[in-house]
Amino acid sequence: MYRYDVIDQEMVQDRAREFRIQVARRLAGEITEDQFKPLRLMNGLYLQLHAYMLRIAVPYGTLNGEKLRRLAHVARTYDKGYGHFTTRTNLQLHWIKLRDVPDILDQLAEVGLHAIQTSGNDIRNITADPHAGATADELDDPRIWAEVMRQWSTFHPEFSFLPRKFKIAVTAAVKDRAAVKVYDIGLAMRRGRNGELGFEVMVGGGLGRTPYLGSTIREFLPTRHLLSYLQAILRVYNRHGRRDNIWKARIKVLVASLGAEEFARQVEAEWEASDKEAVDLPDIELARIRAEFGREFETLAPRSTVFEARRESDPAFARFVRRNVHAHKIPGYAIVDVSLKVPGETPGDMSSEQMELVADLGERFSLDEVRINYEQNLILPHVKLDDLPEVYEALKGAGLATPNMGLISDIIACPGLDYCTLANARAIPVAQHIAERFADIDVAEGIGELKIRISGCINACGHHHVGHIGILGVDKKGEEFYQLTLGGSGAEDATLGQILGPALPANRVTDAVDALVDTFLKVREGEERFLDTFRRVGMAPFKEAVYAEAH
Amino acid sequence: MKAITANRLIDGEVIFWNQGQWVERFADAQIFGADDDAHAEAALDIAKGQPTVIVEPYFIDVEEAPTGGLAPVSYRERLRALGPTNLPHHGKQAEGGAAIEALLAATGHSRSTGRVNLIRRK
Repeated sequence: MYRYDVIDQEMVQDRAREFRIQVARRLAGEITEDQFKPLRLMNGLYLQLHAYMLRIAVPYGTLNGEKLRRLAHVARTYDKGYGHFTTRTNLQLHWIKLRDVPDILDQLAEVGLHAIQTSGNDIRNITADPHAGATADELDDPRIWAEVMRQWSTFHPEFSFLPRKFKIAVTAAVKDRAAVKVYDIGLAMRRGRNGELGFEVMVGGGLGRTPYLGSTIREFLPTRHLLSYLQAILRVYNRHGRRDNIWKARIKVLVASLGAEEFARQVEAEWEASDKEAVDLPDIELARIRAEFGREFETLAPRSTVFEARRESDPAFARFVRRNVHAHKIPGYAIVDVSLKVPGETPGDMSSEQMELVADLGERFSLDEVRINYEQNLILPHVKLDDLPEVYEALKGAGLATPNMGLISDIIACPGLDYCTLANARAIPVAQHIAERFADIDVAEGIGELKIRISGCINACGHHHVGHIGILGVDKKGEEFYQLTLGGSGAEDATLGQILGPALPANRVTDAVDALVDTFLKVREGEERFLDTFRRVGMAPFKEAVYAEAH
Repeated sequence: MKAITANRLIDGEVIFWNQGQWVERFADAQIFGADDDAHAEAALDIAKGQPTVIVEPYFIDVEEAPTGGLAPVSYRERLRALGPTNLPHHGKQAEGGAAIEALLAATGHSRSTGRVNLIRRK
């Protein structure tokens, strides 16, 4: 993975030192809360319901053992011994004290971690395919390009005060594991006719109050022009994005109001007029970054007798392999999902001890790499098949081997009203109840892939718009109600969910999900996923099942 | 009835006003009666004059809880006074006792007028 050079390292340490001074000035009354708030937000520090929350960046969801161990240490020393991984592949600590934050940032900076641009109207942490560098279905390692964009966007003076926050995701694979169509800019690598690599550039995707899927404004952008083209997009947005209305300030609203064609025309004009060479990365610098992501894999037999024997003799291991293990591009290796979705527990939460265990497993068995995906799980991307039984045992012993990836109990949930000042309703307990209802893994596996996403408010941090079943918490006459949507997808077949019907009270949500699943199982054909069946039969039978009692 | 709440600047702790002091337990909060608006407003003004101690003081509406004792009307405010529902050993609820039980027994989710005004101001 990318290792900070002297310049990178000084930048994060300087920022930590600067924030120490800012905190001291706030505590001394030299600056007001209104003056301090944008400064703390630029360092990922929010004031939430019970305490401060620190959002620590995990660029393109990649960690090594040292970094994950440091996160564990910080969570244990300054929080309550756990952290919460988010849909933006960041780590949030929910019980932080302002007086400790300067020390925390110092400790994070020592290992190249920080909270820079995890908030504010700037270019946020850039996300990428969590299988990058391990999957066979990619054209290149997208993290190279994510790192290029990280360096370009960090403290970018022109783009530090955008109309609103700005999020970029990149993938180079056929399968979209990064939800690129619901990002302000989604980049999907393509191969051009002459064999050259480039990006399909999608702009104006986003969830929140007004969800949109991104529009493709350029089918093929040669990779060497990535930064100059991004600059052109950001300049058009910076010039015309609305600053008068926070609800209309995201680029998706600008793209929708101008139309994707006109927006693309303006971007192309801006791009043509710009000095591309002044911005685009020189080949030598790209080669330097690329070299940091190189991996030395061993030449292994494609089959492992140790692995095969265990799979044949142990049904639980076989299920884990079926659900949580994915093909690797190198024979003899596998990509292993680490589940943070034990039914009844909080989705995305991980204790310091669990972090340390996974850090250890990453160092010993995964070429010192650990990934985070936007579905709030972790990944060991480079595990030898020979080592899989040992890794499985270690994960199982720590409650990290629930074989439910992609199943109904692998639920995304934002922190919701239990922690968040923006939320209207709780999300975590809803996820807990549903996951407990479907805790029987035989039942869950029989249902097949079913992605439930829950948000505690319209800001949609829980991605409810793109859930096969989406659940949105609303405040209805002062009570927690939940609006269900069906048919959404955040994958390569991205679609926005459709509203099922009137919002339901909290105590009816799990039963409603049960009714939806029953209906699905009755009308399912073959091995259809819930999403496939919904697309085939439409809303009517599902609506009937949930609201039948009301008729 | 109403009380004054805020978060403590240095650590973010949820706190409540009581006779010029800040206390951590809702049960220790000073309750202003319906006919005590003048004192309540005066106390809020003093609270607003403590920007190096607290962040964003505001009123919360309070009513009698079903099992006796008092509780914030707003569910959001009860969560602040208790802690998160997913981890009952975290937050102020961990202490237990009758006052916590009263908060847990309270129902309804309406927002407090003070909080609504704060949101509008933002």
